[in-house]
Amino acid sequence: MILLLPTLAEPQHFSLLEKLLFAGLAVASAYSFWRRFGLVLGKILQSKKDPSFHFFPIGKRVWDFVWEVLFQAKVIRERPLPGLAHAFVFWAFCAFALVTLNHCAVVLGLGFLSPEGQIGRLYFYFAAVFALACAVSILCLFVRRFLIRPKWLGENLSYQSGVIALLIFVLMATYLASFFVADASPSARTLWWIHTLALLTFLPLIPHTKHLHLVLSPATVFLSRGSFSQIPPLSGDEDFGLVAGTDLTRLVSLQAYSCVECGRCTEHCPAANTGKLLNPKEIVLGLRGYLNDLGPASAEPLLGKYNAQEAVFQCTTCGACEFQCPVGIEHLPILVGLRRGAVNTGSWADGQGTKLFLNLERGSNALGLSPAERDKFIEKAGLPLFDGTQEYCLWLGCMGGYDPKGREIVAAFARVMNYLGTSYGVLRKEKCTGDPVRRLGNDLLFQQLAEANLEALAQNKVKKIVSICPHCVRTIQEDWKEYGTPPEIEHHSEFLARYADKLPHQTSPGPSHLEKIVFHDPCYLGRYRNVYDQPRTVVALAGELIEAPRNHERSFCCGAGGGLAFLGEETGERVSHNRAAELVATGAQTIAAACPFCNTMFRDALAATGEAAPELMDIAQLAARGLPQSGAS
Amino acid sequence: MKIVVAIKQVRERDAQVRIDAAGKWIEEGDLQFALNESDAYALEEALQLKEKSAAADGEVIVVSAGPERVGTTIREALAKGADRAIHIDCDDLGQRDALGVAHLLAAAIKPESPDLVLTGLQSEDLGLGQTGVILAELLGLPHATLILHVEKTETGLTVKRELEEGWFQSIDLPTPAVLTIQSGGNKLRYATLMGIKRAKTKEVRRVTAAELGVDTPPVVVLEQVTLPQKQKSTQILDGTAKEAAAALVEKLKFEVRVL
Repeated sequence: MILLLPTLAEPQHFSLLEKLLFAGLAVASAYSFWRRFGLVLGKILQSKKDPSFHFFPIGKRVWDFVWEVLFQAKVIRERPLPGLAHAFVFWAFCAFALVTLNHCAVVLGLGFLSPEGQIGRLYFYFAAVFALACAVSILCLFVRRFLIRPKWLGENLSYQSGVIALLIFVLMATYLASFFVADASPSARTLWWIHTLALLTFLPLIPHTKHLHLVLSPATVFLSRGSFSQIPPLSGDEDFGLVAGTDLTRLVSLQAYSCVECGRCTEHCPAANTGKLLNPKEIVLGLRGYLNDLGPASAEPLLGKYNAQEAVFQCTTCGACEFQCPVGIEHLPILVGLRRGAVNTGSWADGQGTKLFLNLERGSNALGLSPAERDKFIEKAGLPLFDGTQEYCLWLGCMGGYDPKGREIVAAFARVMNYLGTSYGVLRKEKCTGDPVRRLGNDLLFQQLAEANLEALAQNKVKKIVSICPHCVRTIQEDWKEYGTPPEIEHHSEFLARYADKLPHQTSPGPSHLEKIVFHDPCYLGRYRNVYDQPRTVVALAGELIEAPRNHERSFCCGAGGGLAFLGEETGERVSHNRAAELVATGAQTIAAACPFCNTMFRDALAATGEAAPELMDIAQLAARGLPQSGAS
Repeated sequence: MKIVVAIKQVRERDAQVRIDAAGKWIEEGDLQFALNESDAYALEEALQLKEKSAAADGEVIVVSAGPERVGTTIREALAKGADRAIHIDCDDLGQRDALGVAHLLAAAIKPESPDLVLTGLQSEDLGLGQTGVILAELLGLPHATLILHVEKTETGLTVKRELEEGWFQSIDLPTPAVLTIQSGGNKLRYATLMGIKRAKTKEVRRVTAAELGVDTPPVVVLEQVTLPQKQKSTQILDGTAKEAAAALVEKLKFEVRVL
């Protein structure tokens, strides 16, 4: 079979002039590559070392590398068609490594793959399959970028990308054409030279363009902090977050140079989608610009010319950007780091933000209410106090303890726990977990709140916590670790799903009459905690679960996260209105939420949309709705 | 300009207070303490005056009298930007009247010869509103009270006083002077991590009443502290909404006299 196929034509003999010409061009190309790449590498290595960086456990790093880089899984999953096209280009590059080495080696008479030999022949066919797939893919990607022009790629056409696409196409086309010309013919020699010139032009273009990601992003993925939104601890007395160039760590600089400008972060960003200044891609490119112009030794503030403070404080920390990024950029440590730099040094002056900080400096909750209000609610709702004998500590949080709607959620969840016979109690005193100040970058206040709460939990000998608020759950479980060992904690959706078979199914007359319920994935439950199925199990008890267009890890934020619920009016469209409209458009009779912050945002948004808004309920309220009336406490 | 700010640590605003066994003060064991609100505004005013001034020799010194725990409030003031502090160590603040406390503060402030002394207009716990004015008298300085805004002029100061019913008064006075500051004139700043770290190296001088040579017996003696009697007189107005509204207006006009 193989014998019937054409053979790769490769010139075997080169004149001295050709050899010298090749050597000269190769040296020039390599020099031009290194001149820029060495500079970039220098900037990365001159950046501050990451104090909390650990290679181990290395298994996760290897797995991420194999899955995200070699298999291109993230690239494909999040944008299937362009992702697959990109994967073919990538795989072709991998397959071409040997071909290219051999291609250059033949000039010196050192070719190691022979088109005549069995192995060489097989390998050239193997590479040809990839070359074909790559050529088709790059054409499709070219059409997408220059004719379809998705807005995420930016308003300006990137001509660099066009040149690169052309070069890749030429590389593949010349390779494939070499199968159809006679061995040792002038055509074969011409093809060889075109291929060589394309190759030597391509090499120096890599570090000069966003194609730098070819070289850097495999390292970025391998070296990334590894868990979602991992905010590194500050180290030493002079570390206040990302203030100036001297605070940029090697990881941040590496990530800044790795950005491939694909715009997936922007595509999913709630701020960028509602007309705000923030664009996560531009934040990363702003840092790159800073590094290019000023370098990592500069004392010039990072916020100012290169990135706007206003943009940094528009982030809801929903994490859609970091979740999407195919090259391992961790946007949240960067955005929160820039906020830390501004807040820890006092350069962020925002009326509402300062009010939130002062409320938490002096009081106990983010809403700025008297703790006596919480006591009154506990008494009125008949919630037992935690005394060390109960299984669960029911953590109320600011919303559950002080917000009228949050209290309804707590009361409903307490009814379910009473029905199930679970023993629980609430703490006599509780402070805000520090979630809003953590995300806004106030480390002083966050530490005070975390330490005070950890001490109270230890004094009360709490072993297990359950909470209705994904923000509390995340902050207690992950962020408090910097200051102690928090007790085990779970979100009420996880608790409720575990007892789903003990809870009544709310059956309707017929399947066609089932109440349609759309579930909104809270960012801090989904992307932050990887909990998607449990709340859906609870919703399914109450009616027919339907999905919004953006669901699971692509869920769109309600606009409350990152402390933004406590800041002033948004510019542009409200994030909550955008998401609420999407949920209403599903035609559901009920919107199910699993976070008191989402709940309060949607309550306001639905009130603004007017008459026929669907009902808004927490999953705890849906579960409690089906309980027999005697189960009420 | 050298500015001294006299501050007081009081129980946290929303704390549930209980009267102690002797009936002379509140039980302090369980309480959290914070900076008195109008003192926080006095500090803010001082910091802003220093920041606005072109002169590099500006200094803000906080002075506070009280037990060991006052140290945390002093640190907070240093973190917000005060340059150094004097802690007058005394456990018997409760037994001293306003005159006695003013004597302590005056003795500590006098050697500093400041250009301006600021303090809150009253404390959140006792609310006497006298310490600042007595302090002015003891220092032999002119004073003005209920100040919302201070501006430095060529010859001294121009201050904005709050009067009743939305009226304000503008006064010029010479320096040195004592001003008692009303809450709400400025936006307060939050304490920052950098501020706290910098505060660690700032000087806090501790002195005792004996070292200051102050031994004033109280003129006013606190007899007893009681919680206010809770009284709720809820009235339900019957009738249709229209009738109830009319009755409500009647009551607000003639009984409560707020309309």
